[in-house]
Amino acid sequence: MPSATSTSRERITKFTNCRLLKGDELMEQDLWVSSSTGKIVKSQEVFYSHNSIPDATIDLGGRIVSPGLIDVQLNGSFGFNFSQISEDTHSYGKSLRQMNRLLVQTGVTSYLPTVTSSEKEVYHLALPHLGPSGAHRLPEEGSESLGAHVEGPFLNPGKHGIHPLEVLTEAYSFSDLTAMYGSANISNIKKITAAPELGNMQAIIPEIISKGVIYSIGHTEATYEDAGAAVANGATMITHLFNAMRPLHHRNPGVFGVLGIAESLPRPYFGIIADGIHLHPASIKIAYASHPDGFILVTDAMHLVGLPDGTYDWTNERRLIKMGSHLVLEGHADKIAGSSITLIECVSNFLNWSGEGVGKALKAVTATPAAMLGLSRDKGSLESDADADLCIISEEVGADGQKKLLIDQVWKFGVKLFDRSEQITNE
Amino acid sequence: MRLIVRDDSHSASAYVAKYIIDRITAFAPTPAHPFVLGLPTGSSPIKVYQILVEKYKAGEVAFENVVTFNMDEYIGIPREHPESYHTFMYTHFFSHVNVHPRNIHILNGNAPDLEAECVAYEAAIKARGGIDLFLGGIGPDGHVAFNEPGSSLASRTRVKTLAYDTIIANSRFFGNDIEKVPKMALTVGVQTVLEAREVVIIIAGAHKALALQKCIEEGVNHMWTLSALQMHPHPMIVVDEDATLELKVKTVRYFKSIEAVAAAQGFEQILPSKVRTGPRPISKPLEPAPEVKEEPSILLPKPTTSTLLAAPATEYPVRSHTPELIPDRMGSRIAAR
Repeated sequence: MPSATSTSRERITKFTNCRLLKGDELMEQDLWVSSSTGKIVKSQEVFYSHNSIPDATIDLGGRIVSPGLIDVQLNGSFGFNFSQISEDTHSYGKSLRQMNRLLVQTGVTSYLPTVTSSEKEVYHLALPHLGPSGAHRLPEEGSESLGAHVEGPFLNPGKHGIHPLEVLTEAYSFSDLTAMYGSANISNIKKITAAPELGNMQAIIPEIISKGVIYSIGHTEATYEDAGAAVANGATMITHLFNAMRPLHHRNPGVFGVLGIAESLPRPYFGIIADGIHLHPASIKIAYASHPDGFILVTDAMHLVGLPDGTYDWTNERRLIKMGSHLVLEGHADKIAGSSITLIECVSNFLNWSGEGVGKALKAVTATPAAMLGLSRDKGSLESDADADLCIISEEVGADGQKKLLIDQVWKFGVKLFDRSEQITNE
Repeated sequence: MRLIVRDDSHSASAYVAKYIIDRITAFAPTPAHPFVLGLPTGSSPIKVYQILVEKYKAGEVAFENVVTFNMDEYIGIPREHPESYHTFMYTHFFSHVNVHPRNIHILNGNAPDLEAECVAYEAAIKARGGIDLFLGGIGPDGHVAFNEPGSSLASRTRVKTLAYDTIIANSRFFGNDIEKVPKMALTVGVQTVLEAREVVIIIAGAHKALALQKCIEEGVNHMWTLSALQMHPHPMIVVDEDATLELKVKTVRYFKSIEAVAAAQGFEQILPSKVRTGPRPISKPLEPAPEVKEEPSILLPKPTTSTLLAAPATEYPVRSHTPELIPDRMGSRIAAR
């Protein structure tokens, strides 16, 4: 079989001898991608109409080709925090671009930069940088924002987690949101996490979703009835299910309850942090079993992901301690401060804890988040005309019998940006 | 006629695949001298394609100098339609091997002028020097390509209306909706198939047993178009046991014994060497062969193979000489080369 490593400027690359993730199944099929359109090619049409054969053929030796991973809750990485504005505001955009090029190497090819509860000024400065990169489609820029996720500040103080209490507030009309985020920035927002029971939020939800913004229930004291009303009003997502909400009680199941098909409401998608700290594996399995098609793995990773262990400065003179994928607030060892896990590690964890197949685990970071965002045609898919964002993944089983997925290569818009084997040889 | 019987459809398919690979290898095709392969679609050939793909991936055969011609295609469904024969060929074969798309010929069922498409197709076959090996399957009614019962045995590539039976049978691929099934197709003719230097047919399954019986044990008949194969100088039919259900035990034993004897004598039922390697361009002049009066091996009807192709039937070893009895036969009216 012909095999070649491709240079970045080739037009059509064919992957062969590989397993493609289609939905939640792995299928032995070839895949053609074009670096000139940045999309997955209708190979049959190109083959017959243009008499063209691929410029390069890559034999993957049976490895998995997954759509690029999508993280819908990421607070920062490689030392860059989306919610932290330094004195030199010009450096924000520059640092963001640097981070995008590093983030893509973890397999995350698109994401929602998540801004935690902050002062108004932070939103006004940060959000203009965090909008969807949309039509640019430049592979060398690395990971791509699909729009910002504003987690707060309309959160319930009783479930604030590590969000600073002093900035939390309530909204009574949509203008409270535009005042907070800046009216020009609404189009840069893809998702908002807010507590539905506060202020007049239930009534505002329809207006939020009419702007093309996903409403996600989170950091909330909502009862089952509140959560059901929010879903009826248009909420389609739950932010880190189980965390920062009332626990499941058998007489009032709370937010978790809406995953039942009660009152014939559509069941929302939900984020799950599978870092082994935020949730017990058994809870994750229960959540998955209750609504597998809504199950989305998220990292909720802080900006320390990708950095070595140690103590780091954070906002408002607070400090964070990183120990592996553990993150706690200094002086509050019981406060989980987000995670510092990579998305592919979450997938491996889920794989081991659930006993589900690789296809189902990867779907939770590809097709499902893309569907939640309404981007199924372009993202999280290996069908023709979808964006050619790809991860080449190999499977490893450790001595302890634990499965591990490894990102071997990352492709963005049909161009290879990362190759693990080259990294090793370069060192 | 060579009839090869194998225990099951898999070993029949494996036999055909190996036969094709051996033929291509012996032919030693080059860009200037490609191997021209006729190809079918349908359920029987799928396994043959699977094995060919496996062997290609194992490096046992290459298709870079193979030119292909497909038998047929529906009219009026998009080329990318899941049931189009373009899609079938791409899915089962072309996307897995190294046949270059410019060497692939499939009738275009969406051509603005379908007649012209058919004429051009015949011309393209001739331009490539004729088909070296035509692989085929048959329908339960004995049709080869879309040459359904009643098709002229002298037919060439043309537009064909599908039989109602075929439309009903095909509706399972179109959501059981007869309205969605294409009613017409483009197909090579029976004569187009017979002009190939060699024809190999794979037949598997009890539902095709009657068709096989009609084509092997009975006479040439346009109601069972494959029976025209009896007129071909080098046909081979490979079948599984199930397909022989309607044959006489004697017939099956007879063909099995031929194969067994041939094997015992240390040779397969191979073709004459000229047919095996095709009309190779002569690089240096050979010793002029002694003048031999050419006598056709088959007199009536005379296969057009002898007039149209570079390796005519007259070059096969002549075994019997039958005196010419009819002073004005139809064959002589066909313009000579």
